[in-house]
Amino acid sequence: MSEETKAPEATKATEETPEPVDPRIEKANGQLELVKSKVVAKFGEEVIEEALLAKFQPTLVIQNERWADVVEFLKVTDELGFVYPEAMAGTDHMAKGYFEVYLYLHSFVLDMDLAVKVRTGREEPSIPSVTHLFSGVNWEEREIFDLLGVPFTGHPDMRRIMLEDHWQGHPLRKDYVVKD
Amino acid sequence: MAEIRTEELLMNIGPQHPSTHGVLRVVVKVDGEIIRDVEPVVGYLHRGTEKLAEDLQYTQIIPYTDRMDYLASMINNHAIVNAVERAMDLQVPERAEHLRVIVVELNRIASHLVFLGTYLLDLGAMSPFLYAFANREKIIDMFNRISGARLTFNYMRVGGVKWDAPEGWVQDVLDFIAHLRKEMNMFHELVSGNEIFLERVKGVGIYDADTALNYGLSGINLRATGFNWDLRKNKPYSIYDRFDFNVIVGEKGDCYDRYVCHMSEIVESMKIVEQAAQQIPDGPVMGKVPKILRVPAGEYYSAVEGARGELGLYIVSEGKDKPYRMKWRRPSFVNLQILPKLLEGQTMSNLIAVLGAVDIVLGEVDA
Amino acid sequence: MVEFFSWLDKPLELSTFLNMVIGAVIVLAFILGVVTYTIYFERKVIGWMQWRVGPNRVGPLGLFQTVADVLKLLIKEDVVPAKADRTIFLIAPIITFFPSFMVLAIIPFTATHIFTAASNVGVLYYIALSAMSILGVVLGGWASNNKYSLIGGMRSAAQMISYEVPLAMSMLGVVLLAGSLNLVEIVEQQKQFPYVWYIVPQALGFIIFLISAIAELNRTPFDLPEAESELVGGYFTEYTGFRFAFFMLAEYVYVFAMSALGTTLFLGGWEGPFLPGWLWFAIKVSACIFFFFWVRATMPRIRTDQLLVFSWKVLIPLSLLNLVITAVVKYLI
Repeated sequence: MSEETKAPEATKATEETPEPVDPRIEKANGQLELVKSKVVAKFGEEVIEEALLAKFQPTLVIQNERWADVVEFLKVTDELGFVYPEAMAGTDHMAKGYFEVYLYLHSFVLDMDLAVKVRTGREEPSIPSVTHLFSGVNWEEREIFDLLGVPFTGHPDMRRIMLEDHWQGHPLRKDYVVKD
Repeated sequence: MAEIRTEELLMNIGPQHPSTHGVLRVVVKVDGEIIRDVEPVVGYLHRGTEKLAEDLQYTQIIPYTDRMDYLASMINNHAIVNAVERAMDLQVPERAEHLRVIVVELNRIASHLVFLGTYLLDLGAMSPFLYAFANREKIIDMFNRISGARLTFNYMRVGGVKWDAPEGWVQDVLDFIAHLRKEMNMFHELVSGNEIFLERVKGVGIYDADTALNYGLSGINLRATGFNWDLRKNKPYSIYDRFDFNVIVGEKGDCYDRYVCHMSEIVESMKIVEQAAQQIPDGPVMGKVPKILRVPAGEYYSAVEGARGELGLYIVSEGKDKPYRMKWRRPSFVNLQILPKLLEGQTMSNLIAVLGAVDIVLGEVDA
Repeated sequence: MVEFFSWLDKPLELSTFLNMVIGAVIVLAFILGVVTYTIYFERKVIGWMQWRVGPNRVGPLGLFQTVADVLKLLIKEDVVPAKADRTIFLIAPIITFFPSFMVLAIIPFTATHIFTAASNVGVLYYIALSAMSILGVVLGGWASNNKYSLIGGMRSAAQMISYEVPLAMSMLGVVLLAGSLNLVEIVEQQKQFPYVWYIVPQALGFIIFLISAIAELNRTPFDLPEAESELVGGYFTEYTGFRFAFFMLAEYVYVFAMSALGTTLFLGGWEGPFLPGWLWFAIKVSACIFFFFWVRATMPRIRTDQLLVFSWKVLIPLSLLNLVITAVVKYLI
């Protein structure tokens, strides 16, 4: 790679420690607490398995069984208003023993992005569908089902979307063996 | 008199069809010329980019991004380098940032020109296609000079750009923009007032902002409804906050508004290119980056405003030199979902008009 | 020579019959040449309008491009789809192609109309025969057993039915003025007082004629039966080789025939000062053909429902109005 030769070994940029109080982190923390408190007030402590900041991104991990309810609450509650589904992705965390689905929502009321995640075991995975809330995640859920093998219960059209119907296995699983 | 027995006809439009813009298949149930049911079938161009990316270093992924939205490869490049730089907190030299903005906006213009040309071709007018492509050709030539490629540029690197602009290139860009201004006027004269064209696109394929948001539409498909949402303004990245440009929004959300938005966005992109070309400083085009890029462990989502909407990139990293998981939020893929809703009860001719206006690139739909 | 070929007022004997056959063959050969260079002309003109050069490889200036294309089509395999209705599939191009040549019998090319049957019902003859071509299109679309072809054929039928009416009615205005259905007579009438071509008193009729003619010819913006971007190829999606060539040939012969008819009815036919009649005729016909190509290079395609609405709600009332005004004015003068 020729660009690597252009950039010599200096890696100081990444070694610099961030300032003790980053205003962006403070802001994100505030947003996270706000959303978390609303969700907890409605559903109780146990629906949020984890609440964290991924860099500056408020992220909530939602209990699998209440996933659709919580997302609906986030969408329909006026003071939250997470009405815009920006992205959805599924990841196979094989070492940790679960699949994780990531939904990235935007609220125009709060002017913030929220990442909500849901996990399901690698044996007999299943996640409630949120297609009835966001028509735009219909194909995203199909894609996750196709490539990761996580069926979404309540999805109107749970078929493979990218690969052929007779395809064996789900390529984005980490234990998927690529055949020649 | 006995009633005439009629039957619904099941038609497979595509994957080899002149107007599906690639290998899209649309299964259509028609009653005469009236469409009763539509199901888009995708996946004919699926290359497993996301799976491939898991075995590649970040720099090695960049050429794969060229192949997704192949009409706007520069923007794809920008999406990935921007995501990695944000995750790693890397600084990009000023000159590189300006060059990026220039090529990205030029590529947006080129992509919109392809839209205009092919859309008019879908509607049966052949000349605008050639006019649009003649101008796009000039942009492609300029990209050829700066990156050495005409379609899959592989121009950007994490921390900067691969090549500095050749001698006189920036001035040529400015000259081209002046030339394109005149050409756009000609395009307006030829197309924008054409009665038949207006009849074909006005009031066709209407949806409102709420529907668009619910479907996760982005880019012009969202803005055509009058909803002001442009990542360049709303979530500024790169150096877009320094430039003076307007976000173009439509009124009704029909195909005509989408056409007008494309036309006006070309003008706005020309403004950005001009400002960037005038302000471009001297200096290096590659910042200080580590030899091997290791994104710190964690999850990152960042998006840029692509030619077709929000081009997002979700990276799960374990701190290695390769991503653990890389998901592309492809605007065409998301936007295409609204097609069945728009087409029920329409005629066959409108299918082409609506599909063309949704403006998809199959390389991006299937990734 | 002229005397030899004038068979109109002679009894039907072997020699006159031979003359008729020879005359027909000459017209046929002539028209084939015209069509060849009409296609070349179209590609060059549209190329010029679209910043391209058009064909320029085969022969000097690409003059033999069409010949090469036709040769290619003739030596191609004649594919009949397995599930097609074979008989109808095979004869459909012939049904389309046949009337396109027959209508040329009544076109008066020059003042000394050698090969022209100066029929007393020339206008009716043209309308009646040109309407037959559509049968071939519908049958071809049906017999192909292809859904695109079927829809193309159906569209074509709807379009023809709708546009035959205004086309015929726009001609009736001229017929009223000239007082004759004979095309030769109509040209002769335009030479007399008030010494203007019928395009002046029949301006509205001419516009209606042009629009309907484009629709009859299936050309942009009314090329719905073919509609490449929607129906792939429309009714001739499944046709290959020389059967496809027949459809194309018929289309271009009609372009010529329709231009010739328009020239005869509205532009004074062969009549004009200084130049010989046949040259005037050629110039006027070329102008009409150029107009068709020009429109093709400029316009997008109209939608089916708009097409029908435009015919029934705009063109037909207008042509009726034109007819009534013509009749009233003619009565008063």
